[in-house]
Amino acid sequence: MAEDLYSLKEHYLRCVRCGQCRSVCPVFEEIGNETASPRGKVFLAHMLASGELKADAEVAQKLSLCLLCQACTKECPSAVPVHKIIMAARSQLAREMPSPLQKLVFKDIWTRPSLLNFSSGLLRGCQGLGLTSLGRSLGLLPPALDLTGRLPSQPARNFIKEITKAEGAPKMRIGYFLGCTTNILFPNVAKSTVSVLSRLGCEVVTPRDLKCCGLPQAENGLIDTAEALGSFNAAAFRRLGIDAVVTDCASCFAALRESNTFKGIEILDLSQLLNDLLTGHKLKKTSRIITYHDPCHLAKAQGITDAPRELLERTCAGFREMPGADNCCGGGGSFSFYNYDTSMGILDKKISSIKETGAAVVATCCPSCIMQIRHGLLKSGQNIIVAHPVELLAQSLQ
Amino acid sequence: MDSQRLADELKKILPAERVLAGSLDRKMYSYDSSFHARFNSFIPDAVVLPRSTAEVSGIMRFASSHNVPVVPRGAGSGETCGCLATSGGIVLDLSGWDTIDEVDVSNMQAFVRPGVVHYRLNEHLADFGLFFPPDPGSTRMCTIGGMVANNSSGLRAVKYGATEQYILGLEVVMPDGSVIITGGVNCRALKNVSGLNLTKLFVGSEGILGVITRIRLRVWPRPKARGIAMAVFDSLDEAPAAVLDVYQSGILPSGIEILDSSAIQAVNIYKPEINLPAAEAILIFEVDGNPAGVEWEGLKIAEIVKKRARSVEWTTDKDRMADLWRGRGVVAMAAARLRPECSRIFAGEDISVPLSRVTEALRRIKDLGREFGITVVNYGHIGDGNVHTAPVINLENSEEVERAKGLADAIHRLAIELGGSTTGEHGVGAVRNQYALAEHGEAANVMKRIKEALDPGNIMNPGKLLPPGGE
Repeated sequence: MAEDLYSLKEHYLRCVRCGQCRSVCPVFEEIGNETASPRGKVFLAHMLASGELKADAEVAQKLSLCLLCQACTKECPSAVPVHKIIMAARSQLAREMPSPLQKLVFKDIWTRPSLLNFSSGLLRGCQGLGLTSLGRSLGLLPPALDLTGRLPSQPARNFIKEITKAEGAPKMRIGYFLGCTTNILFPNVAKSTVSVLSRLGCEVVTPRDLKCCGLPQAENGLIDTAEALGSFNAAAFRRLGIDAVVTDCASCFAALRESNTFKGIEILDLSQLLNDLLTGHKLKKTSRIITYHDPCHLAKAQGITDAPRELLERTCAGFREMPGADNCCGGGGSFSFYNYDTSMGILDKKISSIKETGAAVVATCCPSCIMQIRHGLLKSGQNIIVAHPVELLAQSLQ
Repeated sequence: MDSQRLADELKKILPAERVLAGSLDRKMYSYDSSFHARFNSFIPDAVVLPRSTAEVSGIMRFASSHNVPVVPRGAGSGETCGCLATSGGIVLDLSGWDTIDEVDVSNMQAFVRPGVVHYRLNEHLADFGLFFPPDPGSTRMCTIGGMVANNSSGLRAVKYGATEQYILGLEVVMPDGSVIITGGVNCRALKNVSGLNLTKLFVGSEGILGVITRIRLRVWPRPKARGIAMAVFDSLDEAPAAVLDVYQSGILPSGIEILDSSAIQAVNIYKPEINLPAAEAILIFEVDGNPAGVEWEGLKIAEIVKKRARSVEWTTDKDRMADLWRGRGVVAMAAARLRPECSRIFAGEDISVPLSRVTEALRRIKDLGREFGITVVNYGHIGDGNVHTAPVINLENSEEVERAKGLADAIHRLAIELGGSTTGEHGVGAVRNQYALAEHGEAANVMKRIKEALDPGNIMNPGKLLPPGGE
């Protein structure tokens, strides 16, 4: 996932600082000056690696201004893997000036499902008592707290069984990686994934003891923690014996695919698998117009753009592309929590694109993007539903 | 004036959030794409982000009264340190001032602020069936202000020329803060020979005479069709000869690009799927215009060039054309692949030579590469004699870095010897001004006198374009 900064020397030296990355960087577009440009961050990483720059809060703040959306990496004429360099630089910062808050959130809590559940339960309780609304209206709590929306009554893990049998003769035994965001914020997505796979002839294995995929840790510079999580999760799947693993979270998907710890385990794209399983099936199509947002971790990181659209076109009669479908929504994992205002500026553009289509539903394969877009639609008073394609498929299969 | 005090003064002119004074913020304005900036740190004392002519005027009045250097900057995509504060002072980052104020379709012109990015302007103009013809390779990031200041051109300069041909007038803030409009305050005429041509004086002046704050551009009807002929040569001499054959047949392609054997090899290592045929040279001819004309000219070029080339392919298929352009497009990045763990640098990268001496230039650059022990890749706009050389070096080997500097110097001197110029389109900045006297002779001193007359305090982008010393 993330590499040592010095090992990327060949790559950051290759950056000729031409600035082409400025043309695609959503953060640069929002902030509008060189200090937010991807090449500027590569420049900082280079200085950090060479010791010309010491790790401090200002450097950390500059390097936090990246969504890791990979738009610059795709655009770079010198093929510089900008996102990897920024992740490695963050990792160096985490080593040289560890942040107690980051450690508490991403290492101490996030790696322990029971603590994560407890924390989300606490938030749920506060929301129920109106304490978060009160704190927000008094200005005591940051606006980023609104991003999660009202937490559902229970996480998916409470009702997803470890083994869900296939309907009819099992075609394959599929491992389901239930990610943290799906589990806590979007249990209906998890329910849809399991039920759809089961109905289409898969035995679904959801290990009880899965932990976070490791991406939030890697993005925050905690590489060792991320690696440990990957090893733990891979072992859980190996123990239960599966043909392949799927997940309904684009970010988890990219993390699993790019993790060395998952070597030897086939990680399938959920949309592609469903398209294959649906061959010959006739589905009830909704008349609602649906548009699709490409999650960065699926489109840019893994190059998957057709399969989700093909899946959506099976479920609706009126699919409509939005302009800039693969432009980042501004979520970027923890980015929107750290840099709320910048994130909202990027999100506003995405919401405008969605509105332009006249769609009743915007679908996307990443629960983090669902969270972000739902927040933007709510803020702008739009009556547009955000859904995961697998939820729409579940409705069509009923 | 120390950085903090300077910032405090500037905050009286601009809102505080558009004055960057932190050391890290300023450091991030210490580079452009040049080789020179890799090994020198030109950190400005302050960076400002102006958004109005009045703000620029206020900054200039302040700078002039306190004798503080001012350096205008666009996207910072240049290769010459032109936008860097080599003498300290204030960097004006104009790239965020990017409004297209007007597209005047009935008068075939557009009115823009300096920060508009080239490809975004052309995207906007496409809605009106128009385009701004100069076509730099840096279209995705370079700003119109930067293009005007450097008189940029690019792939299609063969037919459409450079930026200067499309500038009808400018709004310029002078070093003392006064504002002038060249080409006439209310003039929207496409032809104008009234008065000294101050517009052309400022185009290509690299920010040493004033700050360009508004640009009136001439725009053209968008061509309806394009086509590409790719010709493969077993002999390097035959490629420039084929270009002359095409010109002599009465055809003016919109672009003629060359890749020499090293460039072909680099592309094939970097992107094997492009699979360029191994050859001494490949030429790419592009023609544009109406569909019938494009077809006729393309087939004619293929017929003419076939006499010298091993093979010629003519296509108007969009996907195929994109593939062929990709071969040319990736050379710059592919160059570094000839030597693992090494980097391509921008030094001696933009000479321009007479068409009749292109072959000689290509051969002698190769010889110089051998002499200095530096891998070089050659490509460029052969249609107008503009050769781009990409030296590939180990940036961490200081001895090799010194050899690369020697190579760049030798390439620049070669250009002058061959009756050409040290720069075809990238500009002079602080990396080629030492050749100004050799290139221009007494005219270089006239340039200095113009500079002294307009900027007596020498605060506008000092140390650039003019011969060093005694500015």
